[in-house]
Amino acid sequence: MSIMSYNGGGVVAMKGKNCVAIACDLRLGVSQYNTIATDFEKVFQFGPHLFCGLPGLATDTLTVKDKLRFRLNMYELKEDRKMSPQVFTSMLSNLLYERRFGPYFIEPVIAGLDPKTGEPYVASMDLIGCPEKPEDFVVSGTCGPQLYGMCEALYEPDQGPEDLFETISQALVNACDRDAISGWGGVVYIIEKDKITRKTLKTRMD
Amino acid sequence: METILGLRTDNFCILASDMTAAHSIIVMKSNEKKIYPVSDQILMAATGQQGDAHQFAEYIVKNVQLYKMRNGYGLSTASAAHFIRQNLAEYLRSQTPYNVNLLLGGFEEKTGGQLYYMDYLASSHEVKYGSHGYGGVIALSILERYWRPDMTEAEAYDIMIKCVEEIQRRLIINLPNFHIQIVDKNGIRVLPDITTATVLSKKSQA
Amino acid sequence: MARRYDSRTTIFSPEGRLYQVEYAMEAISHAGTCLGILANDGIVLVAEKKTVNKLLDESVYSEKIYKLNDNMICSLAGITADANVLTNELRLISQRYLIQYGKTIPCEQLVSWLCDIKQAYTQYGGKRPFGVSILYMGWDDQYGYQLYQSDPSGNYSGWKATCIGQNSSAAVSSLKTEYKEGEMTIKDALALGIKVLSKTLDTARLQTDRIEVATLQRINDKCVTRILPDTEVQALIDTFEKAEAEAAAAKKEKQPKP
Repeated sequence: MSIMSYNGGGVVAMKGKNCVAIACDLRLGVSQYNTIATDFEKVFQFGPHLFCGLPGLATDTLTVKDKLRFRLNMYELKEDRKMSPQVFTSMLSNLLYERRFGPYFIEPVIAGLDPKTGEPYVASMDLIGCPEKPEDFVVSGTCGPQLYGMCEALYEPDQGPEDLFETISQALVNACDRDAISGWGGVVYIIEKDKITRKTLKTRMD
Repeated sequence: METILGLRTDNFCILASDMTAAHSIIVMKSNEKKIYPVSDQILMAATGQQGDAHQFAEYIVKNVQLYKMRNGYGLSTASAAHFIRQNLAEYLRSQTPYNVNLLLGGFEEKTGGQLYYMDYLASSHEVKYGSHGYGGVIALSILERYWRPDMTEAEAYDIMIKCVEEIQRRLIINLPNFHIQIVDKNGIRVLPDITTATVLSKKSQA
Repeated sequence: MARRYDSRTTIFSPEGRLYQVEYAMEAISHAGTCLGILANDGIVLVAEKKTVNKLLDESVYSEKIYKLNDNMICSLAGITADANVLTNELRLISQRYLIQYGKTIPCEQLVSWLCDIKQAYTQYGGKRPFGVSILYMGWDDQYGYQLYQSDPSGNYSGWKATCIGQNSSAAVSSLKTEYKEGEMTIKDALALGIKVLSKTLDTARLQTDRIEVATLQRINDKCVTRILPDTEVQALIDTFEKAEAEAAAAKKEKQPKP
């Protein structure tokens, strides 16, 4: 068993037209198959249009969330402006690479809109901070392989917020059904220029 | 080997721990108390390697007390949980990690009873009910079946008896005695131990 | 005589004084005035800017008032270079507390931690004290709205209304006479702040480019800190000047005509 699949869970993010979506499941397990809670969110808001999902080892999900908050707050106080998703990605990448030889066991997903241009942005990273910035979608977590399959099948470019919600929800729900340690409900965030929509998903509870 | 249980309701939080101190295959003691009062309204149950559990619990208790001395007001349950997790997480990546699993129970007027589940990796999550150890796996399904947010103290105590009964029936390890503590608006109280005798008299009543 | 004892911060003079610390306080009494006023529904900070020059590039929006964390802002009087070091330290202390306890640091704890640093520079050798006094305003769930002041010696104290910088003693005494305990609203506090500052400033008329005004209020369970834009500051000045003119006119009328 890998330490990456000790707690289970997955995150996915997708680009749409002038919007992005990010979603995660809600399960928290221990030593893979013992379910502790079904309301453990892995996606966190770091700005008006900036979200980050941290699937992997639950303790590092919390640790990295706190450390990111620290650095983000210091940046925003010093610079007196909001952080762009690009800068956030670099910051997170550096934070993770500082622990190159004793890493945090999470593989982050970032989704957001550029504070100035409103350009959609998604990125993902491995556990030592190597970023990947594709044009369509990013997946991560124990149900990552399943999510890849679903996204590959369902994704279309330039979807509106409603369609994007439908696509990402279907991708998450059906990927989690094929992974025993992900699922038990999900949360989806749709990020638009003037609005953030948070929706909870019901899934199979077994 | 060891087992701790906990549940929260709107009006209190109750913790139970087995009272066995074992060394290798020998039971050294059957009246060990593994629940520590952290403050006037916070309780902590700790299991794991015995020395670690005791040492870490003591360290936390004294630090929370120190905070109150310095500032004139104590930590909230949420802040205490965050503080404990932070310490555990820092030690996790040190040369001397603590091998302890924790349940943290508290009561505040604003939030009602609160229960935090924490494992030795410093994952932390607020839960309705939780458990650690082999006995905990058995107890979890009983807690799942009977838990309600508006339970009375007597009902909660009854559920604990049910859990102990099932643990004693199904678990190959002998855990005869359980120590129970409760925290509510009046502070912390010790409830009568649940022993084999308690379980037997409960059965004969029914 | 003093010469022998004031070259080092760590040595007491025969009269039992620490000259370097006192000199640091002297430096502050020439700095731009900052005053803070506590109201029932919030807090107000008003600060005077010393460096006004049309050639100065205004890259930063505010130069006297800094946000420290979600619940606090502060204003500094003294040596700007020292002040920047201290604001950075204040922000770091706030963030360290956030990571330890998962909530924003209570106001007094932040002030107290910073004052420990300030105090250290009056005791350990080879260093000079920070030439900075600070006004902090903030809110926490323990004590509600709070206003604190700290000086180079590492002393701090809580206030209902106070002032640091140039002419601060005169400003404090006029705050003392005009402050209505338990009756102040944000609006009253703003008016009072402008009034007192206008008296302490050496210029005849108040100008928006010379002063900075900030408010902190608790709205919907969140601290809202605002640095007032020039238009709002101008409006405050206008109302003040109008009131002054009316008062002067009334005074004139009362005087018997020759």
